[in-house]
Amino acid sequence: MSTEWAIEFHALTRRFGQHTAVDALSLRVPRSSVFGFLGPNGAGKTTTIAMLLGLVRPTSGHITIFGHDVQRTPTTALQRVGAMIEYPAFFPYLSGYDNLRVLARADGIAQPHARIQQVLALVDLAARSKDRFKTYSQGMKQRLGIAAALLNQPDLIVLDEPTNGLDPAGTVEMRELIRTLASEGRTIFMSSHLLHEVEQVCDQVAIIKQGKLIASGKVTELLHRGQGLLVQVTDQAEAAVALLGKLDWVNSVRHEGLTLLIDAPHERAAEINALLTRNDILVAEIRTREASLEAFFLQVTEQP
Amino acid sequence: MATLLHLIQAEWLKLTRRPLIWLLYGTFVVLLLITFAALLFVVLLHDGAIGGVAVQVLNDNQINQFRQELRFPGVFGALLGQINSIGGILAMILAAGVIGNEYSWGTLRVQLARQPQRGYYLIAKLLTLLLILLVGMLLVILAGGLFTLIAGWLLGNLGRVSAGDLGLLLLGMLRALYVMLPYVLFVVAASIIGRSVLAGVAGGLIFLTLDGGAGTLSFLSQTDNPIVRGIYNLLLQPNISRLVAQHRQSFGTDPTAVTGLDLSTLPPTWQAIIVIGVYSIVFAGYAYVSFTRRDIVGAS
Ligand SMILES: Nc1ncnc2c1ncn2[C@@H]1O[C@H](COP(=O)(O)OP(=O)(O)O)[C@@H](O)[C@H]1O
Ligand SMILES: [Mg+2]
Repeated sequence: MSTEWAIEFHALTRRFGQHTAVDALSLRVPRSSVFGFLGPNGAGKTTTIAMLLGLVRPTSGHITIFGHDVQRTPTTALQRVGAMIEYPAFFPYLSGYDNLRVLARADGIAQPHARIQQVLALVDLAARSKDRFKTYSQGMKQRLGIAAALLNQPDLIVLDEPTNGLDPAGTVEMRELIRTLASEGRTIFMSSHLLHEVEQVCDQVAIIKQGKLIASGKVTELLHRGQGLLVQVTDQAEAAVALLGKLDWVNSVRHEGLTLLIDAPHERAAEINALLTRNDILVAEIRTREASLEAFFLQVTEQP
Repeated sequence: MATLLHLIQAEWLKLTRRPLIWLLYGTFVVLLLITFAALLFVVLLHDGAIGGVAVQVLNDNQINQFRQELRFPGVFGALLGQINSIGGILAMILAAGVIGNEYSWGTLRVQLARQPQRGYYLIAKLLTLLLILLVGMLLVILAGGLFTLIAGWLLGNLGRVSAGDLGLLLLGMLRALYVMLPYVLFVVAASIIGRSVLAGVAGGLIFLTLDGGAGTLSFLSQTDNPIVRGIYNLLLQPNISRLVAQHRQSFGTDPTAVTGLDLSTLPPTWQAIIVIGVYSIVFAGYAYVSFTRRDIVGAS
């Protein structure tokens, strides 16, 4: 209980050859939050989570979980973590129950039977627990994945695209399950490429694209404050981006042609105008965007 | 230490429930019984017990050898010999499955995310694999023993088993396991490096081919040039042959009767133990380093 942060990513970077999958990602996940890690496919979510779980080595930077460094003290850092990464992976020839037994044995859980029954009941799999994993539906597999993540009473639950491949009913069930888990005061860090998933269960969100953090904050703020500003300049869009990027109240800025897309509070519009004008960049128009998180997400993640 | 014990318990559950293992052991027992039935058939033919006419396809020395292998305790030498031929190949398939499937099923990352001490995980896996191989040997020996009760009855001589024989059998099982080590560990390393069952199986095939190729160079062991001989005897083949020959020797049968092996050119036992140990350590070390250092990226 050494820190208020469940997870801290410090300038986390991972390159695969020439390709930078995660690019200087710095992010803090508050304790007891339900944190959405949002980004389009290929954004680097799974790679980030694999580094968080000690499965993939960062090229540089580091991660702490409840203050413990994942690379230096992996056993301590991961002790209180339960995770499902990418897809629920189990031994196909074992029953759901026996799969959990394998994990419980490896964890050295005392009274495994009672605990396994408990988590199976929680994810509503008790009735099918004696059937082999390979006979399960996708939704059952995902739920068994959650049960496995919960087995060792973790304080932090990491879920990589938990609703991937689920039908609408399964998605609703999963969402309810996540809400139940969240109500018990644990920290949940879940990734998704679907905004509405995150919007409905998370209280905080970070958006990444091409490995870079683009925005982060409380969902309510991102959703309702409408941080977007659209600034039309007459030329020197690049220079304007460079200039605005230096301001600490500007979360992100980029341009499409001569339109600057700025993630900053609306009340700063006049300041932006003044700054650009001072630097001989003429502003033709400033508009605010009552961006929903959806529009915001699409805006920040659409292909450049 | 507690961690290692827990991991071994988990591996044990995974392995003993795995159909592949019982399929491989079942296959082995069937192949073994076919081989023994063939031996019995040849001996019965020789004696004229089938069809009333003696058909002598083999010389008396060889038939005598077969007779001994169809009763106690000679059968133990034959069984241990089978364990190191057919059994060795099945053990390699098993090793590839045990390591490679953890990658293809994605189960490896699940387990390592819970318990990041990869070295412990690998050690637990290898120890459990050796344990289950010993169980397999016991099953095969049991099946062979039952068959021998029948064969011995048919041939009118069951032989007998002394306490000393049982001790030799136990020693023989450990020897057989030791002989399998470099092959199994090579497959383990190949499965880890290729992150798949296929890589393990392919690696094992290449290894067996090279190993067999080395066998065809056995004329080198006949030369008078001590350096060439010395180098040849650092290959795995002749050292394996030395230990495998002891399976039959320790139960009083002749390992050269059917194979035409020349025992006099083989390296001494102490050298065989060291050379096999060194190969095993190199392969295990390679597997260990690769497993503990590299990214675990599940199914691709
Ligand atoms: N082992 C790997 N080798 C090479 N490139 C990889 C590897 N793993 C991921 N990548 C690349 O890194 C990028 C991020 O992938 P990933 O983290 O899986 O994204 P996401 O989970 O957000 O969809 C992708 O471009 C992917 O192709
Ligand atoms: Mg992913």
